[in-house]
Amino acid sequence: MAVQNNPLSTPCKAFEEDLVLFHYGDLHGSERDALQSHVSACAACADYLKELGQLLPLTVKADEPGQTFWDDYSRELRHKLDAAAEKRTWWQNIAIIFQPRVLSAVAGAAVVVVALAVTLGRGLWPTTDVPRDDAAMMEALPVAENLEFFKAMDVLDDLDLLESMGSQGAA
Amino acid sequence: MNPRDEELVASAQSGDRWAFEELVERHKHKAYHIAFDFARDREEAKDLSQEAFLKAFTNLKNFDGRSSFYTWFYRILVNLCLDYKRRQKRAPADEFDETVEHQVEPSQEPRMPRSPDQHVLAGQISRQVGVALQALPPKQRTAFILKNHQGLSIKEIAETMQTAEGTVKVHLHRAVTSLRQRLAEFA
Repeated sequence: MAVQNNPLSTPCKAFEEDLVLFHYGDLHGSERDALQSHVSACAACADYLKELGQLLPLTVKADEPGQTFWDDYSRELRHKLDAAAEKRTWWQNIAIIFQPRVLSAVAGAAVVVVALAVTLGRGLWPTTDVPRDDAAMMEALPVAENLEFFKAMDVLDDLDLLESMGSQGAA
Repeated sequence: MNPRDEELVASAQSGDRWAFEELVERHKHKAYHIAFDFARDREEAKDLSQEAFLKAFTNLKNFDGRSSFYTWFYRILVNLCLDYKRRQKRAPADEFDETVEHQVEPSQEPRMPRSPDQHVLAGQISRQVGVALQALPPKQRTAFILKNHQGLSIKEIAETMQTAEGTVKVHLHRAVTSLRQRLAEFA
């Protein structure tokens, strides 16, 4: 085949789309019959069909790999499927936790565990609260430390009393 | 008796790996050829078609059987091929045909040896076709490849492309018109 510079034929506009379908065998019944009778009387449309028959097969690039290729293809794909299945299992395990039903069950169980832990563990866990006796001691200690001071304050109170009595007697 | 695709899909959905591998064996040739029509490169076609099978495998639970497995799977494949073409757009359009020429295995060589002139012309046509196909809008290219290369019916193409049959006919006609103008010198 040689490269030519033939001018393209110009088919009838009304039939152009049907001519393409006719070329591919996709025109049926009365439409097909009508086109066939038109083509037999119209040289331009007949040329157009002939052109399609020459040009369109050229666009197909056939590639028929050998058996080795297909064996490799299947083996390679099987490995990829294995990897995908493994990945999917991992994701599925994570995804199961986030399913609404499972999630609400886990949340409910967590609430129950926390409630039980708080209720039953109160007596067992060490607290930062100071025991009652110790607290009394803590209150009394500063007072005991400043006992002398408070005694001095009592003496001052007595002096005040004597002074006021003295002033009353003088009067 | 061989199980039907639907039966294999049902088994695969319930975790039967053999069933899915059987689906792969049934459809791998056609899947590869469709991918090759888009990519025109053997390695790319292999990767694209395998990727489509992997995607089908991971999404098999979402397949509701409203269409055939074949249509559902080829829709995945065609979308991957179109994505691939979008990514390739920046690359020079005529590069891939050279690789195709070198990829033909010895057993697949034409029986009649080509003369140097014929070889040059074949390469020229191949390049020109590659450029012309690349220049088509994605929907026209898809309709054209599925019809011209794969021989799918208009109805099957419409299902694969999730569009009306009339729309497929329009895409096909426009693709043919455009290719005819670009390849006029070979007519």
